[in-house]
Amino acid sequence: MNILLVEDERKLAEAVAEGLQGEGYEVTLSPSGEDALSSTRRSRFDLILLDVMLPARSGLEVLGEMRRTGVDAPVLILTSRDSIEDRVLGLDAGADDYLVKPFAFAELLARIRALMRRNAPAAPSSLRLADLTLELEGRIATRGGRKLELTAREFDLLEYLLLNCGSVVSREMLAREVWKQVMRYTPLDNVIDVQITRLRRKVDGDFQKKLLHTVRGVGFVLREDER
Amino acid sequence: MLRFTNVRQRLTLWYVFVFGLMLLLFICAATLLEYWQLTRQLYHAEIQDIETAEGLLAFAPDGRLVLHEEYHNHPQSILLLDRYMEVLTPSGQVLLRNSKLHGQDLGGLPFPDEGLSSYHERRVRLADGTHLLLISHIHSIENRPLLIRLAYSSAPIKHGVLQFVALLMMGVPPALLFAGVAGYRMARRALQPLQKMALRAETITANDLDQRLPVENPSDELGHMARVFNELLQRLQNSFEILKRFTADASHELRTPLSSLRSVGEVALQRLHTAEEYRDTIGSMLEEVTRLTEMVDGLLSISRADAGQVALHLTTFSILELAREVVALLGLLAEEKGQKIQIEGNPELYVNADRLVLQRGLANIVENAIKHGPSASPISILVARNDNYIDISVEDRGETIREDLRERIFERFFRIDASRSRQAGGSGLGLAIAKWAIEVNGGSVTLQAGQHGGNFFLLRLPAASSE
Repeated sequence: MNILLVEDERKLAEAVAEGLQGEGYEVTLSPSGEDALSSTRRSRFDLILLDVMLPARSGLEVLGEMRRTGVDAPVLILTSRDSIEDRVLGLDAGADDYLVKPFAFAELLARIRALMRRNAPAAPSSLRLADLTLELEGRIATRGGRKLELTAREFDLLEYLLLNCGSVVSREMLAREVWKQVMRYTPLDNVIDVQITRLRRKVDGDFQKKLLHTVRGVGFVLREDER
Repeated sequence: MLRFTNVRQRLTLWYVFVFGLMLLLFICAATLLEYWQLTRQLYHAEIQDIETAEGLLAFAPDGRLVLHEEYHNHPQSILLLDRYMEVLTPSGQVLLRNSKLHGQDLGGLPFPDEGLSSYHERRVRLADGTHLLLISHIHSIENRPLLIRLAYSSAPIKHGVLQFVALLMMGVPPALLFAGVAGYRMARRALQPLQKMALRAETITANDLDQRLPVENPSDELGHMARVFNELLQRLQNSFEILKRFTADASHELRTPLSSLRSVGEVALQRLHTAEEYRDTIGSMLEEVTRLTEMVDGLLSISRADAGQVALHLTTFSILELAREVVALLGLLAEEKGQKIQIEGNPELYVNADRLVLQRGLANIVENAIKHGPSASPISILVARNDNYIDISVEDRGETIREDLRERIFERFFRIDASRSRQAGGSGLGLAIAKWAIEVNGGSVTLQAGQHGGNFFLLRLPAASSE
């Protein structure tokens, strides 16, 4: 999986590149729009991460140029301006998604996976991690053969965590994907924390092996190893 | 062209102009009256004279008409008489014409019924150009009807009137001068407070907004203006103070997570740690980053609203429904504290507002109630119509906030107990964001003491016109 990262802020670019490489992606760094254009001419990428605020040529211009020259890889725009107009302009220019800076790395990974999944086969009917099983059709959760009594929200939450099994999900992602809230605000974060605590009690409470972990300062993750 | 830039000069000029105009009108009227009166007097004298002359007329034995003038003791006195006189038969034959006429005819042929019923007055002009006031009267002598015409020159009247006008005109320049000086002084006196206000206003800067303009007479127009300006200054001063407090608070609030970040990082680098410890350190730093991000996002939302840059997506929706949604979202927090949220009201009450923004505002207020209400206490939300408004009240049983702090609680970063609420995890912007979210939708939010102790938040939004 080959990703082109177009970002002029060196520190941020290197951190993101390192993170993505850690997740098994191949990353090519490009500090300017011109450089990015010549890179896309030289080789093919599966995904392009494009900063809007670039020196000399704006990211949107570069994106337009890429689309004209036949680059069809999905493009995820990174912008520090979260005004509606920017988003619309970006999507109009041919971007597939956008992410507002400062973003959580977990969020970036989730968006990349989502863009890659676009052409992937349909979702499975059940999810599984160790002895935890989720039957999506009947909405039944079991662990170690025992049925877990979950509320609707808890089931949704567990399903989302299990879908992103092994990756950290941020509160922002939960607010958007599980609570279906467009805007994220402080009270909701508190609700998410309480909900996670309750879910953990039901999923891990009676079991030796803990599956639901809190990654301090980042979010939550469902995984087998203790790390 | 002369330009009077100064109000005093312009006022004076107008004053003098209007005064002069009035004076001229007055002079014209007085002159006309004088002229009319002098004319009346002359006609009156002529009537007296015609009566006398009629008595002196007689036919001489030879059939000629004569005027007896031999009653003068001094024959030259005749020369003093200004009388012009002509006697005709009704058919126009001249019987007598006195010497003053020098043979010129007086008034031409008689017209029908001239002087028949009473004294007929008219103006005539002699062949030599003299203007006369003429009176005609029919008088019978020895049963013969005679038309007597008698006239005086109008020149003395003209002369008298001209003198009268000249006299009045002589008074005009000093009167105008006097009016000008008096008007200028009056204008200066009246405008003096304005000048004082201007002088004071020039010295007021952002640093001494506590200064006020002098109010000389609070009940007149200038006093009213000074008061209005003073109120404006008061509002400016309040805004400046809020801004000053905000700047101080904001730098403090932003510096707190920054200094935590720094200390945590520095301490972690002092010696070697286990991977677990490093992970914890980085997590702790990321928590501070999240706090900073939230704060900056919140500030950005509010400052956008301040700059009027918020694009609202207005829809019409039931406010009770929105309140239920917020309670469903945050109910978990109340449940944790054993609190019960009661929600009542008419579901048919609609507002036209940005649903997301309003939801955020209401959520912040409800969360505040949950956070500050004691465990196992009730929280009640009531939606009710109040005229053209819809009132949404949120009442908790927490500690009642002191009256003097109730308005400040909506200020950015205002905390009643700084250290305690920061530990509770608030960004200090919750209620400030709630306030803008409600105000940007045309509503207002106030805090009162609750009826059962505690706090009573009242949100008032304009009701949507029913479809």
